Amino acid sequence: MYARKGYELIKDLANGEKGQLQPFNEDLFNQVVDQCSQHYLELQALIRKMQEESVDVRETRNAEHYGALIHHLSLIRNKRCLMAYVHNRAEIIQSFAWKVGLELLELPEEVQEKLSLSEKNYFGKHSAALQTYMAEVGIDLNVDMVPPKDPYIKVRVLDDMGEGILLSDKTANLARHSMHFLKRTDAEQYIARGLMEELTG
Amino acid sequence: MANYYDIDSILVEEEFVPVVFQKAINGVKIDESTEKGYVEQGSKTQLPFWLAHELHMRQAVSIGVPACFNQKTRLEIQADAACVDLRSRCPYFYEFGCKLAPLCDKSIGLLLAYAFRIRYKEVLHKAHTTAFAAASRFLMLLTKEETYMYEAAQSSMAAFKKWRMGGPRLQRASILGRKRKPAE
Repeated sequence: MYARKGYELIKDLANGEKGQLQPFNEDLFNQVVDQCSQHYLELQALIRKMQEESVDVRETRNAEHYGALIHHLSLIRNKRCLMAYVHNRAEIIQSFAWKVGLELLELPEEVQEKLSLSEKNYFGKHSAALQTYMAEVGIDLNVDMVPPKDPYIKVRVLDDMGEGILLSDKTANLARHSMHFLKRTDAEQYIARGLMEELTG
Repeated sequence: MANYYDIDSILVEEEFVPVVFQKAINGVKIDESTEKGYVEQGSKTQLPFWLAHELHMRQAVSIGVPACFNQKTRLEIQADAACVDLRSRCPYFYEFGCKLAPLCDKSIGLLLAYAFRIRYKEVLHKAHTTAFAAASRFLMLLTKEETYMYEAAQSSMAAFKKWRMGGPRLQRASILGRKRKPAE
């Protein structure tokens, strides 16, 4: 069926949980591209046939014209599917920079594995642009939007994070299950990555 | 055209419609089961909406009414719209209907408005009252759009409760997915 591969690719994207990343489906992605080339070849063949029969390619509406039209439409459809796939992933990747961390290595490993090479590049460049901008205006834009009541918060460490981690005002031994009283701005990034949780009481 | 990159809008247009070819077409294999590489005038088949629509604009095909808007469905919706399983008929019932109505049958519009009015009330009501376990059977009947509505209603309820009771402001970023089990 026509442009079916593109549909499968989008279906793959839609099956994942909303707003979350699936591994980049390299295999299917290439199949869609191949199908595009196939449509293009058949389109060309039909146009050539029309030229050989020396009919006016622009004006004639014969069986070959409609055949070429179908291949043309399938090509455009597949293109839309490919663009949508890349675009929607890129949006999620951007939000990683805003919500999780600006360095690729700060992202959890299982997320890093899901990115393709060019997506990793994209993430790096987006982060760099963001960092440059934030340095220019002198404001951290990726912290919590609501002004805190207290600059310090109580947190519990959920994962072993190692010893002697350098925070802005001290170094701390963040062993698993230990509780700490940290500067909110220090803790925010760890909470976003799921390494700590905020305690309220 | 709806948003070019929108996933749902792409998926809606993949729904099939019955068509009759008004022109002969060469060099295409519409039906995978046959070997012939052409289509005869007057032959019938099913095409995805995006293709049927473009061909329809060029008078190459005429579009019929797909099964999800047939007489049987209409009667069921008239009987009790809230209990009809629209998802298995077409997960994009409303969006698909909106696109289709001007092309083949204007009365689809009335059907959609009628079905949505009744089901809207039911969805919001269930979203606020039903316990999660009991809701799963009801959720099976909903189209994509109704499911979004249901989730929106529930999340607004949850946000209201959180606002009233208080709770941690900072949380793990939702884009990372559910919390994985800590490796012990």
